[in-house]
Formats: sequence, structure tokens, C-alpha cells
Amino acid sequence: MVDIGLFTQIVINGLLLGGIYVTIGVGFSLAFGVLEVVDFAVGEYVMVGAFMGAVLAPILGSEGVFVIPIVLVVFFGVGALIQPLIHHVTTGDRPHPLLMGLVFTFGLATFLRGSVLTIFGPNNQDVPSSLLTGGVTIPGIGTFPVVRTVTAVFGVTGLLVFMYYLYRTRGGMAIRAIAEDRTNARLMGININRYQSIAYGAYAALTGSAGVFIGMTFTANPGMGLQYTAFAFFMVVLAGMGYLPGVILAGIVLGLTQSFTAVYISGNLVLLVLFAIIYVVLLVSPAGILGKGEWAT
Amino acid sequence: MTRKHDDRRTFLKGVGGAATAVGLAGCAGLGGGSERDYFKLGAVTSLSGELRFGGEVTQRGYDLWADTINEEQGGIEVGGETYEVEIEYADAQSTPSTGADAASQMINDGADAILGPYSSNVTLAVCPIMEQNSMPHISGSAESPQIWQEGFEYSFGTIPTVSIIGNEATSALLNLEPQPESVYVTAVNEPFSVATGEAMRAAAEEAGITVENYEEFPRDTDYTNVVSAAQNADPDLHLHGGHIGSHVDLVNAAEQLGYNPDGFLMHYGVNTGSYRDGAGDQGPYTFGATVWIPGVDRSGGVLFDSPQAYADASQSAYDTAPDYTQAGSTAAGIVFQEAFKELGSAPPLTQDDKDELIGILEEIEVNTFYGDVAFETEGEYYHNNINTQTLLVQLGEDGSPSIVGPEESATAEANYPVPAWDER
Repeated sequence: MVDIGLFTQIVINGLLLGGIYVTIGVGFSLAFGVLEVVDFAVGEYVMVGAFMGAVLAPILGSEGVFVIPIVLVVFFGVGALIQPLIHHVTTGDRPHPLLMGLVFTFGLATFLRGSVLTIFGPNNQDVPSSLLTGGVTIPGIGTFPVVRTVTAVFGVTGLLVFMYYLYRTRGGMAIRAIAEDRTNARLMGININRYQSIAYGAYAALTGSAGVFIGMTFTANPGMGLQYTAFAFFMVVLAGMGYLPGVILAGIVLGLTQSFTAVYISGNLVLLVLFAIIYVVLLVSPAGILGKGEWAT
Repeated sequence: MTRKHDDRRTFLKGVGGAATAVGLAGCAGLGGGSERDYFKLGAVTSLSGELRFGGEVTQRGYDLWADTINEEQGGIEVGGETYEVEIEYADAQSTPSTGADAASQMINDGADAILGPYSSNVTLAVCPIMEQNSMPHISGSAESPQIWQEGFEYSFGTIPTVSIIGNEATSALLNLEPQPESVYVTAVNEPFSVATGEAMRAAAEEAGITVENYEEFPRDTDYTNVVSAAQNADPDLHLHGGHIGSHVDLVNAAEQLGYNPDGFLMHYGVNTGSYRDGAGDQGPYTFGATVWIPGVDRSGGVLFDSPQAYADASQSAYDTAPDYTQAGSTAAGIVFQEAFKELGSAPPLTQDDKDELIGILEEIEVNTFYGDVAFETEGEYYHNNINTQTLLVQLGEDGSPSIVGPEESATAEANYPVPAWDER
């Protein structure tokens, strides 16, 4: 007999966990769809964002939320500076540009992880917040942890803002044109470097901010990045590579699958079930659950 | 022309001589047969990878022993002569296979004895290497019962197995008033944590307490689901076996969902800085298990006069408070030191010396700041020191641990039932 109270709580847990994945998946999907960069450093941006939260929040009245605007600006700037380097190694006469980008970002990820480990040591670091504590209980439904709910709202809002920018502004049109055909976009007078820097900067800003939220939800740890890199890959495979609207559905599927498997089957089988879903999607619908992404090759 | 031949002959002689010298030096290093006026201990521990934190703790423990004995007594006195101690480290890189390779390297480098790795997984890979090479080995940190159940002849451990620590700490908690009627037990699915969880469950069952559920899950699980299932069962206590990161995730999820049992008991590492830093405001009032903290009432003995003297020495040397893993590692060094004295052989030790050392270790009883160390010689705890008493600790509001059980060792009263999250 299924306990209804537990069932609805598991649904809430799954949806909010999916919301956390959405915050990471949006930027990653954008980077892949627009820049054609498979960014292995995505999880490390999350980790560095979380550590910025751990370091800056105590200075800003022990409130991690106040760190978000700073992280948005800093990560946008850093992302805009890194993008030309990625562009350099993925264009020109170099063979296998996708692989070159992968290797570059893998090196970047290793550098970031090693740097944080060296500076802060291997310990967990708390990202304090007095605004996002506890949960809101709705009788008959369940408890909504405040920090997770705000994180999910942040992720979905970020997605909507990106989509508005991409589909409703001239800058977004330019970015889509670059994604379609770089050479033709350049011939149309689009400043490719500028718009690619904007896109990568926005991706880095969103992912770094997601890191602060994740730090407030869990904790900051130098080894946390790999897990989020793996989930970012899961997200784009399920969403359809480069298909932004699919990210929400992918997040929901991942979150609910994880929650229901953990409670009703076995916590030990969560990853097995997730991998099984990924493999099935890759075999049956390589363009993602909705079939609207690029084909996985 | 003749001159040229002479040059070549001289050159070949030189090369031959150098090669012979290098070869002899190499043989000496491999065999450990060279004359040496110091005791050489190999230490295999994780200086990189995910276990680096624990690896550094064991390293501090071993180094503090070696530095103190060298500085205060000039080394270990054997037959009227004093021999300094040198520790050579090999990085296990947090993986069992690399740990086994590192152990082999230490043996090939001619170590007199080996100080063991951090983590039970790596220790389980290192112990067979010690058996194959008949090399005395003391672990200052490993806690998995599996190590001692294997019956390794050449391996010893100063920290009691977690099946004892987990069981005794749980029993002490279950004796607090008001006595709990039910518990919920969770464990991360890896050998040490599972052994901890099973020990906690066994203690509850022995005490006639209802175990609402026993659940294992992987380290990277989402803890809201664990907490939701536990919250639905509404236990009086939540007992958890895992490492520090999992404790932090558990209390964070509990705070977010308003899960309020009368207390959380978690092992390992509640009284470490890593837990306090990671858990933040959620850390206070957590119960934990340990066998040693600086405030414990133990008599002291060889090398350090008291637990507090040891803590002061650690603070002075590393600017950090020691936990029981560091203390157990230092105790491992002290036990070797006393065994070397009893053996009476100057370094380097021969194989006969090492075999004799095993017999001495089986008989030895050493009174240390960490507690009285003596190793079991039969049964499921073969070669494990199970004499050191388990302590139930609870973190105060400032994150510092107090001993709250068992009753005869308690130095403070437990704050129990702990305040609800929204009352803190």
C-alpha cells in the first residue's frame, strides 16, 4: 500500500531535484547548441561558484543569496575571456575540433579542481544563508524546501530568459545564425567573437550562480564537480543536444526517476536506472525525448 | 693511436666502475642490507585523491610521533645506543591497487616496518602484501572488521573496529533519557559505512529497540529522499554510517524538510573540523562516536604525558586539533617504538628480527596518551586493539565536542532530545 503523503513528497523532491539539474543543464545545452563546445568544465564552474559562496557569504552578512549578483558578473567576465581561447583551439586547421574543445575544457576542469583543492583543502565548506532555510509545508501535499524551490525557480527563469534572448532579440538572432553557419554569419556582418563571448559568458554566469545555490542546498567541496558534469551530459542527451526547451523535461525525468527509484526500488540502483534510461534514449530517440535536438553521433 | 686506446680503456674502466658502484648501491637499497644508524619506517597513506583529508591526518599522527621521539629522546634506545626514526611516505592515491603498489615499494626500499594507510579499503589491499613479504605493519586508522576477520599475521591496528565503536556508541545513546523506542538506520554503501550501519542496527536490536528500517545507498544520492522515507517512519533516533560529506548532506536535507528525530548519531568524523565547516548551523547537537578526544580522562604514558599534552603538541606543530585517527596513528608509532626496544636489535632489522617482532607485538601492552594498547591474538578481532573505550560525543553550539556517554566516562550532560530545527 503506497503511503500518499510519502508519494507526494517524493514527487516534490523529484521535481525540485530536477530544478537543480535544470540550472546546470540550461547553460551546458546553450554552450553545446550555440558554440558546439562539449564543456567538460561545467561541473567545476558549479564547484567554483559554490566556493565563491562559501568565501563571500560570511563577508556579506552570512547570506549566500547576496553572492549571486557578484558571481553572475564575475563568471560572465571570466567566461567572456575564456571563450576566445576555446574558439582558438576549435577552429582553424585543427583536426577534430569537437575533441579539441573537449580536451581544452577537460584541462580547464582539472586546473580549477586542483586550484581549489590547493587553496581551500579537501574539506567541505558551508555556504550559509538565513533567508533560504527550512521548508514550507502545505498540509496534504508535502514540504517544499525553500532553498531547493528557489533554485528550481532560478533555473527555469534562467531558461526562459535565455530563450527570450535567443528568439526575441537581434543579439539572439545573431547567436542562432552563428550556430547555424559561422561562415555565412560572418559574411552577414555578425561579429562572431563578440556574440560567442556573450553566449559563453552567459553560460558561465548561470552555471556559477547555480553553484552558489547548490552550495547553499548541499555544501561546497572540491570534488563535487564531476557529479554535475555527468548530470549535465545526461541532461543534454535526454533534452536533445542543443535543444533548450527540452532541458526542463529532462530535468523532471532525471529528478523523478532518481527520487522514485531511491524510495520505491533501492537507493543502490539509482545510477543503474538512470544509465538504462540514457542508453534507451540514445538507442530509440537519439535526438532526445522530444526528438528535437541534434542527433547524437 | 696508443694514446687513443688508453683513453678508451680508461673510459671503459670508469664506466664499468661506476656501473658496479651504482649496481651495488641499488642492491643495498633493494635488500635493505646496508648498514644504517636509524630505524626506517615506510608509511603508505593517501596524500592525493578523495581520501587526502584522512591521509593527511594519519601523516600528522605518524610525523608527530617520529619528530617527538627524535627531538625529545634522540630516537629509540636499543642496547645502549639511540637510533633516530625516519619515515618514508608512499602515496596510495586513495585507491587500493595503488596502495598495494606503494606498500611493495616501501618493502623493496628496505623498511624495517610499515605504518598503515588511511581507509579500510586501502588497508585491505595492503595487508596481503605484508603477508607475502612477512613485514610487520600497524594501521593507525583502519576500522573495518573485515581486516581483522581475515586473520592477517603481520598486520595490527590501534583503533578498535567500527563494529565495536558503532555498537558501543549506539548503546550509550540508547541509554539516554527519555529512552528511545524506535530508530531509523542508514548507511552509505561502502565497506566501512555498511559495517558502521550494521553495528548500529545490531546495538538497537540487542537493546530491544524497534528498527523502523535499515537502508543502504550510494554516496552521491539525493538525501531528501532518504530523509522523506525516514520522516515517514517517524523514528525517535536516526543512526547513520558514512563519511563526513554524507553526514553534511543528511543534516542539510533534514533541516530543509523539517525532519526532527530526538537525535542524530553519525560516524565517522562528527568531531572533525571538516564536519563543523561543512554542516555549518546544522552541525550543533549532532551525536558522534570516537575513541579519543583531547578532553578524555586517560592516564598518558610513553612519550606524551596526557591526552591534553598530545593535543597541545599537535596544535603547536600543525596548528590543528587532533582527532582520534591522528591519535591512533601516533599510538601506532609508539607501539613500534616499544616493540623495537624490547626486540633489542639495531637497525636495519633482519627478517628474523621482523618475525620476532610479530611475537613481541602480540604480547605487548603499552600505556599511551591514547589509552592502553594491546592486540587480540585470536577470534574475529585478531590483531586489533579493542581495549580503547568508545566515547559518545555531542557537538555543542560552538561545534566543540563533549563526552556524553557512556555514563562512567561522560564529562557533560547530553542535550537530549535535541532542539527542533526551527527552535535553534
